[in-house]
Amino acid sequence: MDIWFLVSNTIVLACIYGTLAIGISITWSSLGLLNLSYGFIFAFAGYGAWLFAQHVSPFGPAVLVAGILSGALGGVIICALGFIPIHDKPNFTIRGLIATLAINLIGTQFLLWWFGPRSKSLPEIFGDWSVSLSGAVFSADKVGNVVTSILMLTVVLRWMQSSRRGLEIRAMMMNPHAASIVGIGVRRTSFYVMGITGGLAGLAAVLLSQTYYISPFGGLMPMIKGVSIALCGGLGSVRGAVIAAVLLGLNEALTGVSIGGRYVLITQFTVIIAILLVRPRGIAGLLDRAREA
Amino acid sequence: MNIAVNNGLSGGPAHQPRREVLNVKGLSAGYGPIRVIHDLDLVVECGERIGIVGLNGHGKSTLFYAIAGLTGWQRGSIKLNGKEVGRTRSQGPGRYTHEIVRAGLALIPQGDEIFHGLTVEEHLDSGAYTATAWRDRATRKLRILEIFPPLRKLMNVPVGRLSGGERRMVSIGRGLMADASLFLVDEPSLGLAPKIGKSVINALMDVKLGDAAMVIAEQNVALLEGRVDRVIGMHVGKLKGEASAALALQVHRKA
Repeated sequence: MDIWFLVSNTIVLACIYGTLAIGISITWSSLGLLNLSYGFIFAFAGYGAWLFAQHVSPFGPAVLVAGILSGALGGVIICALGFIPIHDKPNFTIRGLIATLAINLIGTQFLLWWFGPRSKSLPEIFGDWSVSLSGAVFSADKVGNVVTSILMLTVVLRWMQSSRRGLEIRAMMMNPHAASIVGIGVRRTSFYVMGITGGLAGLAAVLLSQTYYISPFGGLMPMIKGVSIALCGGLGSVRGAVIAAVLLGLNEALTGVSIGGRYVLITQFTVIIAILLVRPRGIAGLLDRAREA
Repeated sequence: MNIAVNNGLSGGPAHQPRREVLNVKGLSAGYGPIRVIHDLDLVVECGERIGIVGLNGHGKSTLFYAIAGLTGWQRGSIKLNGKEVGRTRSQGPGRYTHEIVRAGLALIPQGDEIFHGLTVEEHLDSGAYTATAWRDRATRKLRILEIFPPLRKLMNVPVGRLSGGERRMVSIGRGLMADASLFLVDEPSLGLAPKIGKSVINALMDVKLGDAAMVIAEQNVALLEGRVDRVIGMHVGKLKGEASAALALQVHRKA
């Protein structure tokens, strides 16, 4: 056990979980929907990438793109099934929770029925090389994970900062009522949001498949971690989610090397509860520059 | 002062009839079991500046929200530029609002519905919703800055850090960015110091309307006195005919 192993594991986990958590966080704050079908989107994207690798081309970057696109498609499907029909009905928050959970359960069973219980593995996306830096060895998939997830997040966040659709999404995240007053259509914007967050889930699915396998229920654990990290970072805050992802990635790496990987959820929720006891609004409560409306 | 001579409510003005921007007939609206607007009729012609006065809770804001499709339920006809935008509906507040905005409505809501994390500039951009307004948003922003010069220095500041008066300027500026033919301004002086409230009203009065129309809801009648084309009183969800400012204070009732 050396320090570099710990650091690199932390960074890799933080990148993947951060990707998931940012997706969940954006969905929650712009649409008011806690998307519990994220696990299904995750598995759906994994199988999409697997099908692409089997039938079209096992070329790494192409498989990655196929995973992202099928994740976006999954997000759009969830939006059409679980958000559009109920978003302006009474009690939407609870209904949305139950609807997305139901889609998650039905969808994963469907994947189980269609693809069978045997796990699938993707081809190596980033090749089989490694760099060694002052004694520390970074394998190809670790470097690739970090680079692609940071690249993707940068692109998404830049797009949200600079484009008109991004402005609409950010406006909806801050004040949905005012957003509809200035003419931002909730239903159309929701497709953008769900497509993008689905794409983020697809990226995380392909990246995690380099370590684990693709299985119908493989999305459950990443979803739980993503939701809890989003909660810990303060729902709706991108920077908060990034910081929380680093903290909890560090926690996971530390737990893995000290008392064993199977206790990760226990230590993780202990940390989250501790943070939320001190900062009820999550880490974002420390970051906010603006006064509350 | 504009004493009640012609009754615009019945849709038959005595002067040369002009194009109607807004024609509301038999509008009722409310939230859940509560009915706030009762069978209301209103005609707004282009180029007009109208004041609606009335006490708190008598339905001024609900009238505006109903025109924008934001109330809990509503029924009755609302024609905006001849296009029917009202419908009988019992749920889905805000579902059609973006279409109504595209049809030419700019609602400047009460109490500054702002996006507290966006900068002033992004805020003004978000108001330019239609395709044409978005394309020439740069010139529109300059125009807003001429109306509200204090905003010039604040363009890159998040709106959540501004003072109440500055927020109101941003909120009104956002509404004026739109390519609208009907501006609904809800209580522009609410919660502001009298001096600032007066300057905000002055700015609204200075806006050149052209073919558009503006309806201002206010509680402070004195601010509108003699400066708008018509003043209409509102009382428990009904418009009480045209009234001068002084008469509106006593909730003057016309037959």
